[in-house]
Amino acid sequence: MIRFIAKRLGSGLVVLLVVSALTFFLLYMSSGSIARNILGDQASAEQVAMKEHELGLDEPLVARYLAWVGDALSGNLGASWFSSEPVANSLATRIPVTMTMVFAAMILIAICAALIGVAAAVKRGWVDRMVQVGAIIGDSVPGFVIGVILVTLLAIQLGLFPATSTISPDAGADAWVYSMALPVIALLINGVTGGAQQIRSAVIKQLERDYVRTLRSRGIGEREILFKHVLRSAAPAGLTVLSLQLIGMLGGVVIIEQIFALPGMGPLAVTATGQSDLPVVMGVVMYTVVVVIVVNLLVDILNGWLNPKVRVS
Amino acid sequence: MKFGPKAAAAALILSASLALTACGGGAAAGGAAAGAPATSLTLGIVQDVRSWDPAQAHVGHLLQPYQAVYDTLILREPDGKLSPMLATAWKYNAANTKLTVDLRTDVTFSDGAKFDAAAAKANLDHFKQGNGPQMAQLNSVSDVAVVDADTIDINLTTPDPALEYFLSQAAGLMGSPKALGTDGIKTEPVGSGPYVMDKAATVKDSQAVFTARKDYWNKDLQKFQKLTLKVLTDPTARTNALVSGQVDATLLDPKTGKQAEGAKMKLAANEVDWQGLILFDRDGAKNPALQNVKVRQAINYAFDRKTILDQVMLGQGTPTSQPFGKASGAWTEGLENYYSYDPAKAKQLLKEAGYENGVTLEVPSIPDFQTQISVVQQQLADVGITLKVGAALTNTFTSDVAAQKYTTMYFSLFQGQPTVAINQIISTKALYNPFKNANPELDAKIAAVRNGGADAGKLAQDVNKYVVEQAWFAPLFRVNQMYYHNAKVDVTPQIQQAVPSIYNYSPAK
Repeated sequence: MIRFIAKRLGSGLVVLLVVSALTFFLLYMSSGSIARNILGDQASAEQVAMKEHELGLDEPLVARYLAWVGDALSGNLGASWFSSEPVANSLATRIPVTMTMVFAAMILIAICAALIGVAAAVKRGWVDRMVQVGAIIGDSVPGFVIGVILVTLLAIQLGLFPATSTISPDAGADAWVYSMALPVIALLINGVTGGAQQIRSAVIKQLERDYVRTLRSRGIGEREILFKHVLRSAAPAGLTVLSLQLIGMLGGVVIIEQIFALPGMGPLAVTATGQSDLPVVMGVVMYTVVVVIVVNLLVDILNGWLNPKVRVS
Repeated sequence: MKFGPKAAAAALILSASLALTACGGGAAAGGAAAGAPATSLTLGIVQDVRSWDPAQAHVGHLLQPYQAVYDTLILREPDGKLSPMLATAWKYNAANTKLTVDLRTDVTFSDGAKFDAAAAKANLDHFKQGNGPQMAQLNSVSDVAVVDADTIDINLTTPDPALEYFLSQAAGLMGSPKALGTDGIKTEPVGSGPYVMDKAATVKDSQAVFTARKDYWNKDLQKFQKLTLKVLTDPTARTNALVSGQVDATLLDPKTGKQAEGAKMKLAANEVDWQGLILFDRDGAKNPALQNVKVRQAINYAFDRKTILDQVMLGQGTPTSQPFGKASGAWTEGLENYYSYDPAKAKQLLKEAGYENGVTLEVPSIPDFQTQISVVQQQLADVGITLKVGAALTNTFTSDVAAQKYTTMYFSLFQGQPTVAINQIISTKALYNPFKNANPELDAKIAAVRNGGADAGKLAQDVNKYVVEQAWFAPLFRVNQMYYHNAKVDVTPQIQQAVPSIYNYSPAK
């Protein structure tokens, strides 16, 4: 198992390095007019040249990349060109917000999707049909639309929740809960309907397998078959769906965070990209890659734990 | 198979947890709405400041946060009048090349440093070298000399009628000389302004919190005990925050404004920008048709400005044919409808110019102005002008404009003081004159404005008249900035600013 994890970690690091190089070169190759962007439309050519020198844009690209990697290894991701704030600081204050929201949503999705999916697979009939219809509706309404509807109904009309985030250093834990509730629900609905659908198919597939019939013929109870055997075999499919959802959610939260004014990674990514604040964009990309690698690793470990065959292969 | 109860239990748990959070949320939201004291002000701002270093300060709605913590040398009243602030009086020499400024002697910065002539000089020097977004404001300043403890001389290389205005803007913000140039001032401002930052409650890109400064020298400008600037980038978030009472005032647009009006919010509208076509290539370097003044005039006659404004901007603005703003002094009534809607005349002019078979213009596509561009395209087509819409403007557009990539462009531009506008769109150094169009007649008019001192605005009317008659642009309308506030605060709009100065808010009477 340890070798398995080490191998996965190793390949993760290679991916990180390759993505960082690709992103760096793609971004910085077209960074010609950034000094002009920072200084505005009234600046003279000399002032622009001075700023370019200040930002190190007149140095060779490869040298800049190597310097960036060197700094990154020591935890220094550079500083924003616009605000001079260290990128590592920006990430440190924003990642907790986004991750809290994503993981809260994921845990709820996992529980609800599993319950509903299994119920649909086992019960079939009207429960199944409801889940199917729900999946179509859930998939066709984007999360941000649900978000806007929730704000209008629950925050503005009924005043039950704050319309935009109240998270701040002087606010307590309750502010986190109230500010996160609507965004998490907005993220949740697509995930639950989609996840339930996948888990339903996986469980049905397992229920039709020969080993289930054999187990039944031995007189083993339905409950035991379901929880001890079927769920275990259906879990990898469910886990894969959930991990894909989590990664997809990193994109979805960008809009949700904007709507709810949550100080997470979304607004940072949008602002930095719009301004071409490349050190920050690099930081955001690195964060995304790390999350994807870690999530995949966790899913692999969980799968390996559930199913020894995965470890061997 | 008995799964009914389990599924039901799951549904129950889910709905119960939702209901629980819902109940709790009610308490919190209610508390926030009712508990705010009358002397606190919360504003929804569009973008956080990049750096609190006064040399990095900006214009328009990006100036407001700095005003909370920094005083300016000169105060700009809501109507644009320049009044004493840290400067008590100022006077030009006869040649308009030296501005002598008298300063207050009773002001200290929040770190205890004293404001005096040396501090003012330190700030102006710092601004000039700071490489900030508005550094061009002091381009005409050669050096600053301390005359005595409360007097400075600002020496100019060339006269600049906008200098006094600039000293009420970014260039006039005064920070503590002890803090200037340090890393600390980038995240924590140190000024002499009406408020001081509450660093513990401030989170970058989320909110900035300020408390009233004790013993502030000018109590008239300090109307609240607490000031919170909440960063709300998204217009939907701003609308929701305003309507639900989380913020007292914020900037919206005609569409979200409708929702705010439905919730009984008050509008403080103000015309700040103009929108329309900039006909860059007036010498015909890349598009020969544009060299002909009749073609440029024909373009101007093609637009039914009032209808476009009503349909696209829900009537929020004023149709106009001139690029200079109403408050600039260069604006004249006569030029307002200089090009009234006349497609027949447009066709006639094209014929006279030898282009009866049509003219083709190319503009970059701009996501924010997609509707406007398609209406413009339609109306131009009606008189025989084809508008080709090219690739979208990217965030490298300033360089692209400077590199003469576009011969025509639909855009929205700020309407500032006459020399500011000239430097932005008319002079050969202006970014929005990339083909460097010029002629001796216009140069003489511009020179007259620059040397005009107090008469600069009036003299700029000649420049305005010239570019309107020569159809350098095809302006469509001045656009209303839709600043909304609730009944708890009174707000006075500030000319040439989408967002009022921080002094323009007061608790509702």
